[in-house]
Amino acid sequence: MQIKESQKLQTCALVILRILIGWHFLYEGVAKLLKGNWSAAGFLSQSKWILSPVFQWMVSNETVLNLVNQMNIWGLILIGLGLITGTFTRIAAAAGMALIFLYYLCNPPLAGLFYSIPSEGNYLIVNKNVVEMAALFVLIVFPAARNWGIDHILVRMFRRS
Amino acid sequence: MTDKQNKDKNKQNPSIDRRDFLQGLAATPVLGLFGAALIHEQSVKKKLTKAKPKVVPENLEPLNIAVIGSGAQGQVLIDAMLKLPGLHFKAVCDIWTEYNLKRAAGILKRYGHPVNRYIDYRDMLVREQDLDAVVIASPDFWHADHAVACLEAGLHVYCEKEMSNTLEGAHRMVMASRKAGKLLQIGHQRRSNPRYLHCYDKLIREAKLLGRMTSVNGQWNRAVQPDLGWPEKYAIQPDILRKYGFDSMHQFRNWRWFKNLGGGPIVDLGSHQIDIYNWFLKARPKSVLASGGTDYYDPAAHEWYDTVLAIYEYETPAGTVRAFYQTLTSNSSEGYFENFLGDEGTLHISESSNRGGVYREPNAPQWDEWVRLGYLSAPEKAGTQATSAVLDVRETIAPDRHDIPIVFTDPYHMPHLENFFNTVRGLDTLNCPAETGYETAVTVLKVNEAVKAGKQLAFSEQDFLI
Repeated sequence: MQIKESQKLQTCALVILRILIGWHFLYEGVAKLLKGNWSAAGFLSQSKWILSPVFQWMVSNETVLNLVNQMNIWGLILIGLGLITGTFTRIAAAAGMALIFLYYLCNPPLAGLFYSIPSEGNYLIVNKNVVEMAALFVLIVFPAARNWGIDHILVRMFRRS
Repeated sequence: MTDKQNKDKNKQNPSIDRRDFLQGLAATPVLGLFGAALIHEQSVKKKLTKAKPKVVPENLEPLNIAVIGSGAQGQVLIDAMLKLPGLHFKAVCDIWTEYNLKRAAGILKRYGHPVNRYIDYRDMLVREQDLDAVVIASPDFWHADHAVACLEAGLHVYCEKEMSNTLEGAHRMVMASRKAGKLLQIGHQRRSNPRYLHCYDKLIREAKLLGRMTSVNGQWNRAVQPDLGWPEKYAIQPDILRKYGFDSMHQFRNWRWFKNLGGGPIVDLGSHQIDIYNWFLKARPKSVLASGGTDYYDPAAHEWYDTVLAIYEYETPAGTVRAFYQTLTSNSSEGYFENFLGDEGTLHISESSNRGGVYREPNAPQWDEWVRLGYLSAPEKAGTQATSAVLDVRETIAPDRHDIPIVFTDPYHMPHLENFFNTVRGLDTLNCPAETGYETAVTVLKVNEAVKAGKQLAFSEQDFLI
């Protein structure tokens, strides 16, 4: 009985974590979409560290920059929707990790690197991006949507045939 | 539940039942919450950024106007007026025909306003019969004669500050405006500046962010400037100069430094800012103490004081307020600004390039609500600078700094002129009517008296009344 109760709580905690991260992604995407003129240019152009030339190249080419902007906005929105509703949850979580990892590589909080866009906290190597990535990793390796999400229906539909 | 368990369950019960369906959709209501939160956020944002309704330019009644005095300041006003809709320039009057008059008329012509040129304002008033309003930017000692003549001719008048170099002149102007029933706006243009209006209406009056105001200080410090010159071939004939009250071309160009013509830096510069003291404190001063002199420039060519420090005392309903003002013309440190200091906050404001900020005293109530309403920008946290010094017990923690969230990029004089012309059209009320200009003239001209007297001079309520 005790084990069952704790399992329920674990599932509940995973679902909450999934929804919260989904909300964050969704709003980040929607807010950029509603802004109309949002661009990743500022963030990308202050890129530091070894991958800086790659991100600088993205800014320098208008077509690429537009593509990056659109992919970022819609990536955030789709990942957010996927996580909140529990649809293709593992794919969404993995895509979220990949996206955040790119943010991290663009502006890693390493000793001696300074950024003109100020951060709201103090970070060394580990920042909130890394924590959110780790949380998404948890969502991948545990069944965070098998019971409470669209995946629950999808799995059954898939199995029926 | 693990994948294996799931698989087993699926094998046993492969169909989707109602329970599975509801379970699968269990998290989707969060999207509804998200949508509701988003709609709320958007409506709050919309409310904060809603623009002030503007008068539609097409409906504006066209006005015929003339300009008296097209020197440096006249040109500033013309440039600002050219950005306003519904104005037809008909005439320009200036005694420096070969320079000021030619330049102003040329610029106006380029903008599609062929104007008649006049040397004498009386001549202009006789010949121009379809004028609605006149904008005066002549030297201070001419303001009274020019304004009174225009008002008596039935025209509305916008007159540059200082209203007059004498109280007698300013008095005549108020009386002429009343007698003619015509508008007289004095050019203290900060009174129409949206940033100053926001600070007064929202921050000081409504939100009372400064608490009990105890002190004001302000300054206009300017770097050393050589006297103004003129191209010799364009010099005005001596008889014309004499006819219009100038001894020489040098005096004509540098009239601000001469007694009987101007009022010196304290009047030219200080007047703008001391006017704000009266406005923001909603009071008239009780006394003024001042020190000044011609310390730096040649006194023969600079009759007025090049350096003035003045202290006013105001009695407000909340208590005494002491207000300091300084103007230097030999050093430009910190430029120009006004600071209003209260027990709950400080307002730092300047006409210059959106400079300004509001600082909350550590003991004051939180300003979060005013930030939420958009009255202030979110604070930049102060006191977070790395320092090895431990905060001394006598030292107060540095206050948070908030930006004034109004950005003003039009020419400085444009809203004040717009306010005047819209009042002429019956769409607004004057932000600086003759009586207000008179009060400021009384307040400011007394500084020169106090410097001369070398002691504190008192104002009586009667001084400000007409």
